Amino acid sequence: MTGSNVLADRPVYVVGIGLHPYQRRSDTTYVALGVTAVRSALRDADIAWPDVEAAYTGTALLGMGSSRVMLSRLGATGIPMTQVENASASGSSAVAQACLEVAAGRSDVVLALGVDKPRGGLGAAPGHAGIDNLEGGAVVPFTHFALLASEYMHLHGVTADQVARVALKNHRNGASNQYAQRQKVRTLEEILTEPISGAMTRLQCCPVGEGAAAVVIASEEGIRRHDLDRSRAIRVVASVTRTEGLYDEGVGIDAALTAQTGAAAFNEAGIEPSDIDVLEVHDAFAIEELLYAEALGLCAPGEAAALVESGEFDIGGRCALSPSGGLLAMGHPIGPTGTGQIAEVVRQLRDEAGSRQQPNARTGLAHMVGIGAVCVVHVLRKD
Amino acid sequence: MWRSRLRCGPFYDYGSVFEGCMTTQARHPHLLKLTDPPIMLGHRCTRCRRVAFPPDPYGCEKCGSQHADLEEFVLEAKGTVRAVATVHRHHHASPPTPFTVAVIDLVGGPVIKAIVAGGEVRVGVAVEGVLVEDVEDPEGTVMVDLQFQVVT
Repeated sequence: MTGSNVLADRPVYVVGIGLHPYQRRSDTTYVALGVTAVRSALRDADIAWPDVEAAYTGTALLGMGSSRVMLSRLGATGIPMTQVENASASGSSAVAQACLEVAAGRSDVVLALGVDKPRGGLGAAPGHAGIDNLEGGAVVPFTHFALLASEYMHLHGVTADQVARVALKNHRNGASNQYAQRQKVRTLEEILTEPISGAMTRLQCCPVGEGAAAVVIASEEGIRRHDLDRSRAIRVVASVTRTEGLYDEGVGIDAALTAQTGAAAFNEAGIEPSDIDVLEVHDAFAIEELLYAEALGLCAPGEAAALVESGEFDIGGRCALSPSGGLLAMGHPIGPTGTGQIAEVVRQLRDEAGSRQQPNARTGLAHMVGIGAVCVVHVLRKD
Repeated sequence: MWRSRLRCGPFYDYGSVFEGCMTTQARHPHLLKLTDPPIMLGHRCTRCRRVAFPPDPYGCEKCGSQHADLEEFVLEAKGTVRAVATVHRHHHASPPTPFTVAVIDLVGGPVIKAIVAGGEVRVGVAVEGVLVEDVEDPEGTVMVDLQFQVVT
């Protein structure tokens, strides 16, 4: 790849995080969701709205022109605002754009917001590209991942119970996250009921509800000028976006794309996978967490299921995987999800995650994939 | 009505045919020839030789050649099951649940997903294409689709 590592040349920090809880679809307007998250992030950063110089809103489902409708309610300051759409990774891409703008020196304080409120179908573009395929509408996302689960289990001799233990862990983590859509500890027996597709049961599939997440990104100069709390600022050391390449026939695109994007992010951050203390991945379906743990190099292919089972990926284990509850329990309201991952990783690296705190967490990672297919990985570090 | 097996002869051809007062159409006319056995239509890039299924109306994902450089490429509807899942809940009314889908390594190279017809299918078994008919609407339009079944 070409291009300099702008995040190394001009350090970029997350200085504020805020969320509106993820929840089932309700009468709450997207404006209320978004404004709640942004006010919370501004309070957390202890910065005033007029000091924010630009805003990026990750959203896939709201329709045109949502940013100003929300953000003018904080005061119509006239700053540049842009919606960012990258399917499930929209909120991650909003963060990426905010980091880039600060790293480029154009602004010193930028808001990244993720907000969505599904109004029916997701309306994904690949479905109306004019390219017919044999399976037609028979293979929706949960079946795509059920097929990957079938292949994985067959290849590695992993059982459906072992895959379900991903959901067991993530529901347990989500139960102590006040922002999670699902906040209930589940038994393995409960998780294994209600089959949806293949090995994927209802509780191994993420809920798509509504919510919002916001982060405030700042430069060294922004922190100094606004007298922000440096001890709570968490540095962004890698921000990498890749799209699907052309892989060999039969290669799982989601994991292959994740492996490439992860490797580029580790290179940009100058770290190894073993340096990661805490991470949030796109566990929209339980099997994905296993695939991505391996693709990111946390363990060898086929090992992740046994490591989940033995507690290595629990909070307090060698590396906390999906401490927020992940998409499975915290939820996947689409636009907010990637931004919310950054908020969780920052909370962990600040040592402010309470009962969900991974001890001595210094380096964290956030990973999302989206239909299309796109992958976004951020690496954050406590300086 | 779903899954009544179609014993088709050579009178079925690409597109639609009329049989009495009912219209019979291929659900995916650009992907199939309704012959016996059924044939799948992919493309091959005349520049980089990549074979792909489904055929692409825009260009080659490997070398970027335009559509005019892609030629029709006939693929046998035969392969081996790489993965399988039985679907219990579905977003759409069709196909009715439960149904089973498989990832299939075609003998000709491409890896596809398709609905499984008939009984038990496991990873690693050989499968072949079979035409299955389904009455689509009150006027009696019969849609013919390619599914895969275990080779007996």
